[in-house]
Amino acid sequence: MPSILSVERLDKHYGAVHAVSGVSLAFEAGEVHAVVGENGAGKSTLLKMAAGVVVPDAGEVHIAGRALAPHTAHEAIARGVGMVQQHFALVGVLSALDNVMLGAEPVRSMGRLDRAAARARAERVASEMGVSLPWDAPVESLGVGDRQRLEIVRTLVREARIVILDEPTAVLTPGEAEQLYAGLRRMAEAGRAIVVVTHRLDEVRDHAQRVSVMRRGRLVATYAMSATYRDSLMRDVTRDIMGEDPPPPVERHARERGQVALDLRDVRLGRALRGVTLSVNAGEIVGIAGVEGNGQRELVRVLAGLEAPESGTVRAGRVVVVHEDRHAEGLVLGASVLDNLVLGELRAFTSRAGIVDAAALEREAARRLERARVVPPDLAAMVGALSGGNQQKVVVARAVAREGRADAFVFAQPTRGVDLGAARAIHGEIARAADAGKAVLLVSADLAELRALADRVLVMARGRIVAELPPDASDARIGEAMLGGTEATA
Amino acid sequence: MRRAALISTVAGLAAGWLVLALLVWVYGASPREVLAQLAQGTWGMAYGAGQVLYKATPLLLTGLAVDLALRAGLFNIGAEGQLAVAGLAIGAVGARLPPGTPAWLALPLLTVVAAAAGALWAAPPALLRARYGAHEVISTIMMNRIADAAIGLLLARGLAIPGTVRTPDVAPGARLPRLESLGFASLHGSAVSVALPLAIVVALVAAWWLARARIGREIVLVGLSPTACAAEGIPVARRLAAALVLSGAVAGLAALAPVLGYKGYFESGLGAGAGFGGIAVALLGRGHPAGLLLAALLFGTLEQGGLVINATVPMELTTVLQGVVIVAVALADVRVRRLALRGARAT
Repeated sequence: MPSILSVERLDKHYGAVHAVSGVSLAFEAGEVHAVVGENGAGKSTLLKMAAGVVVPDAGEVHIAGRALAPHTAHEAIARGVGMVQQHFALVGVLSALDNVMLGAEPVRSMGRLDRAAARARAERVASEMGVSLPWDAPVESLGVGDRQRLEIVRTLVREARIVILDEPTAVLTPGEAEQLYAGLRRMAEAGRAIVVVTHRLDEVRDHAQRVSVMRRGRLVATYAMSATYRDSLMRDVTRDIMGEDPPPPVERHARERGQVALDLRDVRLGRALRGVTLSVNAGEIVGIAGVEGNGQRELVRVLAGLEAPESGTVRAGRVVVVHEDRHAEGLVLGASVLDNLVLGELRAFTSRAGIVDAAALEREAARRLERARVVPPDLAAMVGALSGGNQQKVVVARAVAREGRADAFVFAQPTRGVDLGAARAIHGEIARAADAGKAVLLVSADLAELRALADRVLVMARGRIVAELPPDASDARIGEAMLGGTEATA
Repeated sequence: MRRAALISTVAGLAAGWLVLALLVWVYGASPREVLAQLAQGTWGMAYGAGQVLYKATPLLLTGLAVDLALRAGLFNIGAEGQLAVAGLAIGAVGARLPPGTPAWLALPLLTVVAAAAGALWAAPPALLRARYGAHEVISTIMMNRIADAAIGLLLARGLAIPGTVRTPDVAPGARLPRLESLGFASLHGSAVSVALPLAIVVALVAAWWLARARIGREIVLVGLSPTACAAEGIPVARRLAAALVLSGAVAGLAALAPVLGYKGYFESGLGAGAGFGGIAVALLGRGHPAGLLLAALLFGTLEQGGLVINATVPMELTTVLQGVVIVAVALADVRVRRLALRGARAT
């Protein structure tokens, strides 16, 4: 019997980038199949081609043995493929029910919308998934978890037999992620094929029956998960993702704690910051956990001095910030690696006549480049052409070079979209900054990262610090705090 | 990548000439004849070549001016007004110099006056942009209009010879020697002066300054990403203002060729069109001094060529050609760049 969904020798170029290179893969009904790989490995592009959203340059997509033709999203949906994109495709001002109906409206005679039938169908699907949704509420009033469930209902209402989810847990709390996977398992048991594109290996270990690894546009291997060999399998998967053995993770260790170097009292700013109180001592790494969108970005901007709070006090020495968006505040994409490594520091290399000492500048940039081990090690390369991980290494290299002139560091989402090797290197720099006696604030949506580095974890929700927890607190406790549950000492 | 830019420019030019030939044919004249006439009257004779060089001189400078602003991400549409104000300034100051003023004193002085006048005229838009974020396209265009009126007013109120719209002759020492008198006798009759090599030097110095001076480098970085620069403490607003003022200064220098190299006085309307022509030169020149020079020569050729073919076909056809070239180059650019990237990857 043919696989419910299979792709053959799929190939896709985006300009000079060979995003997907000759990939053949089959997905079976009744199982959760994870597709993993680093950012830029081609996972999303591959699945978008399978869903008809992107047209391949070569190769074919077969649904239940028949080729997908014409190769459009419309046809794919008609043939039973549903895709839930990373950034939801929902219309905020319409109600949940309207969004479910959109594009597949049941009609009565003379083209009138049959809302009752749509509602019945939606409710049936939702109960099968084990969830309930406020059908008449406008989507913009729904939380992220509900929106995602709505997207899934949408695909099921169209009788999708294959449901593809692209990075579904990026915006979910740990509890919501658990619920999602439980729902996906139910859907798989009912005979559907579930495909999850993710870079989170812990989810793969706990929930997938099959794992395919992609690297640089190619399919490296596919594994069937087995309960007994789970851990060794995950090691193989990690090695396949990176193409080499991963560097050892950074170990948390005790450090001498000094004076308070960052102190915020009841800081408020619009609707983003609603009274943030926290303090960080020299030599400690304080983590701020929280799903993005709870005020972290504004908090970092206030600490960087880019925005002034409306009320409250901020006491900080010299603060060096690595912003969350390297393409906005972190890098001048059109400039060279050299320019970016020393961005904002030209004055130190300028003669009185206003001319820059190019040789000295290059020496310093080369020093930073080598320490950061950027690949390729080319000062003249345009930084926009580097991979995400190498770009972030440049940003971090620039920040840590200022160690001698800084009291505190703020790292915001420092390894987002960064490959494993670069992420470990950046973690090393973060730990070293604290070892050097600096106060370090680590804002991250990645719990694993916080657990590895932070001495204590503050949970931020809706513009406030709502809890302080030890780094080994359970997912459940942290997730509960993120949803604004228990108040704890700060 | 640079080769891609070259290919797209050549492709755009080819397209432009094709369109010109087509228009000439539609008009009823013979394309071959007209094109031959154009070539003959510009580069085919010494006088023509000299006139092309003369017309290219201010275009090189206004092109450089627009390019400087573009580096910072700003669009200086005000080169027209900046150069007119500078022209009036050097015409007025030059006329008031004592007749015996030596060249080594007069020329540097008037060069500074030209740059200062252009910079002054760009200052209000620069300050408005820095302080209030006011869009420089609008404010520079308005300054052009104000320049028109102000110049007319000042000429009428005493700067001009009564009954005319021109200033008195500048002191003899303030005249820029024409190239014909410096050994290029074959260019006899044409107005090209030492303003041309001066313009080339300015273009080279500007390129050097953007690469080696701190403020120059920061201007380029600000143009590429104001957000990242602001986050690292570079004073973005100040750099934007500096870029616009500098742009104005260079546009002011464009007045030297017509006022001191050609006429020897300033008259209303002298140098008009060079400001806008500079925009086209900057877009074609791609920020490279050689590119700017070639683009200036191209548009100088078209300007002179238009005059030459005016007996046969309307000279406006060459204006159409200029527009087509710009659009064609812009279009070719996107496509060629894509092809070039794909080719580079495949090898």
